[in-house]
This record gives sequence, C-alpha cells and structure tokens, in this order.
Amino acid sequence: MAAEPTREWSDEKLKSDDLPKKDIIKFLQDNAAQSFLNELKLQGNIKNVAKTAKKEQLIDAYNQLFENKKFKGTDPVAEVTEQVRTTKIEEKPKEVKAEVVDEGPPKFTKSVLKKGDKTNFPKKGETVSCWYTGTLEDGTVFDTNVPVGARKKKQTKPLSFKAGLGRVIRGWDEAILTMSKGEQARVEIEPEWAYGRKGVPDSKIPPNAKLIFEIELVAVD
Amino acid sequence: MALDQLSEVVQKCQSLPEDGYSTEDYDVFTVAGRACVEEGNSLQLLSIVLDEKNQDIVQCMGWNLLPPLIQVLLKKDDQNLPHCLAIFKHLIEVCRPKELLIGLLEQLEQDDPESVAQSLLLLLGPLQKVLLSLGVRKSSSLGLALSSVLDQVCKLPLPMTPEQEQDDVFSLCRCCSELQAFIRPFVEEARDQHSAEGRDPGTLVMGDLERALPQKEDELRTELLKFCMQVLSRLLLGVQLKDQETLPESPLRDFASSILLSLGSIGEPLPALVHQPLLRHRRTPGFLEEEVRYPKESLACVAHLLFVHLLQPDMFPAVYSPVYSLRANMVHVSLLLSRAEQSRIQKGLELYEKSLLRVEDLSLGVDLLELRSFLSVPQNLVKVMTICPHQNLRTKGLKVFQLSMDKFNTEAKYKFFQLMLKTSHHSGVQGYIIKNIRTQVDSALKSGDSDPWFLGVYLLPLLRCVLRLPEGPETDLLQNMDRIMESLNLLRYLVIRDKVTENQTGIWAEMYKIEDRFLKPLRVGINMSRAHYERELLLTREGRKSKAKEPSVSVSVGDEKLPQMTTDTELQALHSALHTFDMMESVLVRVEELIEVKEEE
Repeated sequence: MAAEPTREWSDEKLKSDDLPKKDIIKFLQDNAAQSFLNELKLQGNIKNVAKTAKKEQLIDAYNQLFENKKFKGTDPVAEVTEQVRTTKIEEKPKEVKAEVVDEGPPKFTKSVLKKGDKTNFPKKGETVSCWYTGTLEDGTVFDTNVPVGARKKKQTKPLSFKAGLGRVIRGWDEAILTMSKGEQARVEIEPEWAYGRKGVPDSKIPPNAKLIFEIELVAVD
Repeated sequence: MALDQLSEVVQKCQSLPEDGYSTEDYDVFTVAGRACVEEGNSLQLLSIVLDEKNQDIVQCMGWNLLPPLIQVLLKKDDQNLPHCLAIFKHLIEVCRPKELLIGLLEQLEQDDPESVAQSLLLLLGPLQKVLLSLGVRKSSSLGLALSSVLDQVCKLPLPMTPEQEQDDVFSLCRCCSELQAFIRPFVEEARDQHSAEGRDPGTLVMGDLERALPQKEDELRTELLKFCMQVLSRLLLGVQLKDQETLPESPLRDFASSILLSLGSIGEPLPALVHQPLLRHRRTPGFLEEEVRYPKESLACVAHLLFVHLLQPDMFPAVYSPVYSLRANMVHVSLLLSRAEQSRIQKGLELYEKSLLRVEDLSLGVDLLELRSFLSVPQNLVKVMTICPHQNLRTKGLKVFQLSMDKFNTEAKYKFFQLMLKTSHHSGVQGYIIKNIRTQVDSALKSGDSDPWFLGVYLLPLLRCVLRLPEGPETDLLQNMDRIMESLNLLRYLVIRDKVTENQTGIWAEMYKIEDRFLKPLRVGINMSRAHYERELLLTREGRKSKAKEPSVSVSVGDEKLPQMTTDTELQALHSALHTFDMMESVLVRVEELIEVKEEE
C-alpha cells in the first residue's frame, strides 16, 4: 500500500487566489478513492469539474479527504455472490472473491457537428429516436435510414429504441447517453464496442471493423 | 331453345325498371344464359350481353353467368374461348363488384392441383380489378378474397429441389408471382394512407417500438397484415428457399422478399416483428388481439428469412447488439424446434446456428440462463438429437448444440452442464456433456489463470453428479454405456493430469468417495451383468430358450409387427453386450491402476 499523501496546502493557501481550482481538483483526482470522488462529483474532465464546483466546495473536499483518509486504494474489494443458487448441489462451495476490474477508456469518440438543446439528455431506459448513417473506415456506407430524395421522405422514419439497455451495440448506447435532443454528432466506435472480432457475417461489416456513425438525435421519449 | 328463352326474358325486362325484375326473371335468365354457354351459343350470347338496350339487365343478372363462362375459359375450348372471354371481360366491367366477387371466389375453389393453379392464374387479375373498384369499402372484401386465394395456393405441392422449383410443374411459383402482383396496389394504397396521416416526422418512428399506432383501426392495413402473417406461417414456413448461387432466379425467393417489403410498407417494421417476444407492447386498438395479430410462427418465419436467407438486409438496421438479437431469436428457435415437421425443425436449427455465429465465443453470461428460452431451446434440441427420425437433423442438432455451448463463458457453461445433467436422462446426451466438462477442465488446467469454475471447489459438485452410478450395482450398464464410458474417461484424465500433491481439481481428497460410489459398484455391476449375459449366451447356443416358450413381447413399427429375432441375431446382440462389458472393465482396471500408482507416489 502506498504511503499516505502529505497535506501540502494550509487553509490560508487554499483560500488564496493564486491556487487555482484545477490544481486542487487534480490533487483530489490523483489521491482520493473512487467512491469519494463519485460522491462529491469530482470525477471527469478537470475543466468541467472546475466549472461546476465552487472553491469553497473544493476546500471542503480537500479537508474531508485528510480527515476521513479516503485515499486511493482504500475501497473495499467487491465480493462475488454465490451464483448457483437455483440449482441444488450437494455442498455449497465457498464464495469466490473477485476484484473489480477497470475496463479502461471508452471505446468510442464523439465530435459534435451540431449542438443539441443541452437540456434533454436521454436516461437509461428512455426511448430515443435517431437518423443515422453508418460507414466503414474506407467510406463504404453499410446502413442508413436517412431518406434519399424528397419523394421517399414521408415513408422513412427515425430509428427508435430504449437507450442504455444493451439492445444496440455498446458504442451506440454509450454515445447516445451523452447526446442531447437535436444534437448531431459523428461517433467513431472501436470494434470492441461494435461488432468485434466477428463483425456481422454475410454483411458489409467485416471482422474487427471500426464503425463511424453520423447520428442525429431527434427525440427523447 | 335456351337462346330463345333468353331472348324472351331479356326482351321482357327491357321495358321494366331495374327493381321490377321478378325472381322468375332472374331464374330464367340464369338458367337459359348458362345453357347458352354450355351449348356453345356464345356468339349470340355475346351480342345480347353487349346490346345497349340490355345493359341494366346485364348489370343486375350478368354475374350469374360466371360459372359456365369460367369453365369454358379453364378448359381452353378453342372454339368458344374468344367469345366467352369477351363476355367475361364485359361482365367484369359492368356488373356489381360485390356480386362479381362472390361469383369469382366461388369459382376459385378447386380440388386437384392443376385446376387450382389454372383458376388462380385466370381469376386473380379480374379479382383485383373488382376489388379496386370497391373503393374505400374494399377492406373486408379484400380480406375475404385473400383468405380464399391463400387457401387455394396452399393446396399446391411445394417444390423441394432447385430442379423442381425451376420446372414448377404444379405452378406454385407462378401463382406466387401472380399473387405478388395481385396485392401490390393494395399495399401501395395502405402505404400512402399510412404516410399521409398528417403526423410530423418526430412522432413517426421505426425500429423496435412504435408500429405507428393508429388512432382508429385501419382495416386495410389489418387485412394485409393478416394476409402476410398467413403467407408466412402457412406457406413460406414449409418452403425451402434456395440461395442465389444454387438458383439465381427464384420466384419463391422474390415472393418471400415481397412479403417482407409489404410488411414494411404497411407500417410493420421488421425489427419490431423480430424483437417482439422481448418487448412489452401496448394493446393495439382494433379487433385483433396481439397474439392473433402476430402469430408466433409467422414472426419466426420473418426472423428466418432475415437471418438465414438474408433477404431485404436494408430493412434491418445494423445497430442492434448480437446478444439482443440472439435473445429474440431464441424464442423463435424454441417454437420451431418444438414442432414435429421436418421443415420447421430445420429452420429452427438454421436460425439458431446463424444467431450463434454472430456472437463471440465465451461471450454469453450466466444471467442469460435465467431466461425461459435459454432453457427450453436446449431441451427441445435434445429431443431433436435423440428422437427425431431424420438423421440429417439429428446430426445438425448435435453440431448446433456444441456451438451453443462454446458461446457461453465458463461460469455459464458450468451452470449449463449442471442443468443438463439434471434434466436430461438420456445417456448419450449426458455422455456428451461429460466430454465437454473434460474439455473445460483441461482448458482450466492449461491456462493457469484464476478461472475457478472447473477446478477445485466448484468442480467437485459437478464431479459428484458425474462420477456415480445412479442405481448402484443394479444400474443398467448397457443403457447407460455412453455416460459411464465418458465418466470413466473423465476420471482417467483427471487422475493422469492432476498431481496428488497439487490436487487442483480436488479429486484426490475425494478419491475414497469416488471409489465407494462409482468404481466399486461399477465393478460389481460389470461382474453381475457379464455373468447374466454369459448365461443367456449359453442357453441361446444350446437352443433351449427358443424351444422353451413363446415370446411374451412383440415389437411393431407402424402397423407392421417386426419379426422375432433370429437366433443368430440374438447371439450377435449378446456378444456385443459382452464386448461392451469388456471395454468398460478395461478402462475401469486402467483407472484403478493409475490411482494406485499415483497414490503411492
């Protein structure tokens, strides 16, 4: 276990103007436990946290951290519960402890082409409707629901599904939750969050394909 | 004679208003008119029918002439054909649609395949014309017509091979093509109605959910939906479509595609149909309940056409997760595998296979086993593998069974093996599962990572299920041969592979129990069975048995009683049994030796 971080800044130093918020945030993100950061909403892009958190809150958090000693590495290891409860077996095996695995960075990137209303973000389980076009890295369009030509416009409809429930490929689920109504974005999805090693057999999507979607979120529930 | 009678009644009616015709007038017209056709006076009849002065009469009564006219047209009687055709066409133009409809549908009903096909090919065109002239009130009549037409089409034998499809001896393919053309204007009308219903694009959606719930019941859509569903379950489910390589031109394949297209056009998006088992729907307003509206077999057929035959790929968005589609398809597969017909089972296996191939190995988790279909499918599959009379299906079933297991992660495999050992009492199936357990243990031992499910603590309960004789020494060894042999093989593998000092699999601590519950009773059982069969062999050789008594058991297949086994066959069977015991014993002895050696180390 690493040694406890030292408390560098005094109260005076913390309150002064020459200590920017983002330094405090960085320190907290580097040294505090995950649960601590989540509770106080200090996770994520430092700039964004700086926008939403007031200096007093950060000072409080800093103090709390040293009081409660909720440093990195102090979260309890998650336990795996017994899995075979429905099938009776002669003797119950001992519980197996497993550690929470860090999955790594998100496997998609999003660049906003047109801003949305920034208010209506879909929540898990809500129905969303989208226009989309999907292309491969080489530019081949493998799927779209965007009407071509004015004549067919009446007949095509946006795709709708319940977001965040694993009904669509993970890249879509994750990306859509970050979009607001009206937003148009270019989303590039790594194969792990798309169709992976298999691709879609007998289709235009080959194995290990990175997929690029242009998605317009037209409606949220 | 008839001609005179006809002229008479027509003349009489010319001066009467329409509602002034008496029942007798109708009858005379009908009888006389029909006789004219049958007697070959079609030319004269034609002139009467075309006569300006007779138009009101013809409009009211003309439809009664349809039966004999159609007969002439079907028989292709060269002499009268042109005139009868002309009369027929004129009647279609001027008579009342509802009455024409009745007349035409009546004539559609035939019994032998040739007449069925001929009448369909003749009458679909006029039927369409008549229905279109009904305007906005056409829906229920269309429904009636479609139902009758489909009844007739279903009487035609289905082509099985590509050659049969090409030859189309019974004209099924041609009829399907005609049927495709028949419904087209109605589908287009429904489609245009549907999109013109003034809703803004934000509320019209496609995909899983909204099926454009109409505020009021749209009858035309409902009738077309009913028809498409019926075609899928009654016709297409029984057909074996050929792929483009085998048969480049296939009217049946085109027909199937057109049905899918039609569904899309009338506002029934294909993803919604395929995923329907997973979605909770609001009740659609209207006179058909959801289950009646979307018969399960029809939905299964849609899934099969999309995923196996890859028809209309543009109609299914390439964004759904493979596991989600698998979950939906499992329900369809379960249904198809539970049927008795070869065609359904085949389609179930194909759909299952294709859905599985889309997911990566080891990607399916244990939570999926909580879903009903993930239990019912393997159970149905076991039935196919063990009792289906068609060998190709049994073989394919086994292949897909193994494929399905490969897709589970180790935890799910563990649970699955437990479930199968508990629920299936078929020795062959159990043997196959045990072989899979051995593969997993091998994999776990080789990989050296911390995957716990096939080692030590977790493995033991599984082994306890496997390494035992269910009825002790009295267990029927022949019947349980597959299972016992695989169990012995597994034990032999474990004994060789797992060092006593390491005991990674946990068997060494359990060895005394294994010996008590499995090896010792097996030894006893083998000895007992061998003794019994050796005695049987002796008796049979000495011929005493066959003279001793009448056989008390007879076996019949179908209605035929199988002949009693000849002495030779009996001897063969007994030798074979003894051979099995020898085989079992040799593995048993080897295992015991190995255990001894290892324990001494």
